[in-house]
Amino acid sequence: MSSAQWCVVALLGLGVGWMVGVAGGTATAAEEAPPAEMAVEGRRLYARHCSHCHGIRMVNPGNSSFDLRRFPQDDKARFLTSVTKGKNTMPAWGDMLQAEEIERIWAYVLTGGKS
Amino acid sequence: MKGILGAAALAAMLTALAPAAGLAQSAAELQRGAADTKNVLNYGMSYDLQRYSPLAQIDKQSVKRLVPVWNYSYDDNRAQESQPLVYDGVLYVTTHSATMAVDAKTGRQIWKSKIEYPPETPRIVCCGIINRGAALYDGKLFRTTLDANVVALDMKTGKELWRSNVIDWKAGYSQTVAPLVADGVVITGISGAEYGIRGFIDGWDPATGKHLWRTYTTAGEGEPGAETWPGDTWKRGGGSTWITGSYDPALNTVYWGTGNAGSWNSNTRKGDNLYTCSVVALDPKTGKIKWHYQFSPNDFFDYDSVAEMVLADIPVNGKPVKALMNANRNGFFYVLDRTDGKLLAANQYGKKVTWADGIDAKTGRPIDSEVTQNLRATEKTVEVWPSTLGSKNWSPTSFSPKTGLVYANTLDIGMKYTPTREEYRAGATYWGADIEWVWPQGPRGYLKAIDPATGKSKWEAPSDIPRFAGTLSTAGGVVFTGKLTGEFEAFDAETGEKLWQFQTGSGIEGQPVTWEQDGTQYVAVSVGIGGVYAIFSGDERLASVPAGGSLWVFALQR
Ligand code: HEC
Repeated sequence: MSSAQWCVVALLGLGVGWMVGVAGGTATAAEEAPPAEMAVEGRRLYARHCSHCHGIRMVNPGNSSFDLRRFPQDDKARFLTSVTKGKNTMPAWGDMLQAEEIERIWAYVLTGGKS
Repeated sequence: MKGILGAAALAAMLTALAPAAGLAQSAAELQRGAADTKNVLNYGMSYDLQRYSPLAQIDKQSVKRLVPVWNYSYDDNRAQESQPLVYDGVLYVTTHSATMAVDAKTGRQIWKSKIEYPPETPRIVCCGIINRGAALYDGKLFRTTLDANVVALDMKTGKELWRSNVIDWKAGYSQTVAPLVADGVVITGISGAEYGIRGFIDGWDPATGKHLWRTYTTAGEGEPGAETWPGDTWKRGGGSTWITGSYDPALNTVYWGTGNAGSWNSNTRKGDNLYTCSVVALDPKTGKIKWHYQFSPNDFFDYDSVAEMVLADIPVNGKPVKALMNANRNGFFYVLDRTDGKLLAANQYGKKVTWADGIDAKTGRPIDSEVTQNLRATEKTVEVWPSTLGSKNWSPTSFSPKTGLVYANTLDIGMKYTPTREEYRAGATYWGADIEWVWPQGPRGYLKAIDPATGKSKWEAPSDIPRFAGTLSTAGGVVFTGKLTGEFEAFDAETGEKLWQFQTGSGIEGQPVTWEQDGTQYVAVSVGIGGVYAIFSGDERLASVPAGGSLWVFALQR
């Protein structure tokens, strides 16, 4: 993903609590793309908690779960809600993962599995 | 005291004398297995798990006239891996969310009993939200639930008679296994070796659900084999038991396969790690281990050995033996003497096997290849075959005494494997490795007709997307199985020629069975995509296969 796209994503993320869960969130976090380390940590968390249903590196035919590469990248709020509270047959993670861990997975999802 | 004993003895006598009521599956009925062609009373079609039927109305010629008789919707979009049972004209089937009785002739539902579990349970289920089937005994149907409960239902009404909690699911324990009833005991296994569980096998009283015994599959402090685990690694050592065991009534012995050790990085648990990746021979009344054989000591690669332990009396080196056969995930086909666990043969059947150079015939232990030696020494990324999916996954094989061949849906998939040091976290996966798939050029799977003595194929039917269904062979010379793209298929057991197929509408991961009723031979299979390959492999060619569980029944067109 190009840095220009990153920027758009980050801007669209504004106002939906981008800063809320970022550990030690700084003022600049809202304007900039999630730092690369976040996506790297997110990748680890994804592998541990999500990959067996959503596929290694999010590669997944999409008929038995959700193809996260196609998750709307401008709808972070939906991501946080669905992951925290669950959706249909997708289990809730709010009691298992901390808010900042879910933020990190979101950072990874934004990479499309390429990080 | 005397009086009580007398009353109990009298009650036992009366039970023994009572005429076989419509729904009283006796131990004798369960033992008839596939010879009782009117019913399918056992997981695996018979206690020996041969999945072979002496029926021959559907044969190599007539199979071309096979047509659907009815279809029954499971009203469920998860994977369907359940094996139907048949008793007295009624099919008994399970999904993760319900148990159903269906009229075998009309396909009309007789009853449906829903299963509820906490919505978070799927978090601790690695490889498909499924159930593999039920057991029948004494008018009751026994099954397990995803959140680890064993349940007994009234076969007539579907009403729950008892429910026994196995263990707290939140610690990573789940159940998909079909129970086994052997020597009057309901026996169940457990899933969760990817979640840091300590595996076990349980015995239950069929009448009341009372817990009778538990045999752990990782040897703990003070138990024989404890020295094969450093520190307290046995407490999270895996050794799940998620496929139904076989049973030899003459030897009164149950043979149950055990899963991989956890976490996958075996350098964190140096030692053989008994009894993971093994087969244990149990006394069904007490759960006591009579003998064990370990296929993959100190396993690095998730070479889970739960898959079916098939029993057959076959000649080995010209001598008839009471054999136990296993197409192991590690790529080798094993033949053991089931009276004592002695290794008789272990030959490569997987297309590409690079983790071991062979199995030492004397010690029964694998010979680590250079790849595995390097991995153990450095913990650096290696390419290894087969992958964690194995040369064959759980998909059950069939053994035809007529051809002497084992029909197996095999895989040809490798992996780039990087061990990690995972910290245990209750209720979370405990992988211990990162993997990336390595695909072969060409087909990823083959239906093989394997000679158990040599591991060599008499024929192979390739498939680009590998098959994950069970196989069924018959005296009609036909082998049934199915594809993840929905085709239910029939092959010539002798030559591998494809004789017939029918598109069922969703991927097939079920276990076909056959029986006869009023002079007609029927074949049934559950369909519905969503198991381990569909969710984990990232094979995007499956995107065009819709989810949707249902049960198909076929017979010859009149
Ligand atoms: C047990 C299997 C399973 C696991 C594990 C799992 N998911 Fe899901 N997920 C699903 C299924 C099934 C769906 C589709 C739900 C539906 O029917 O709408 C889904 C849907 C989603 C969606 C789309 C929700 C929406 O708004 O439509 C997101 C986002 C998601 N999952 C994220 C995650 C993340 C992040 C993790 C790891 C923390 C995870 N999932 C772990 C099964 C799983």
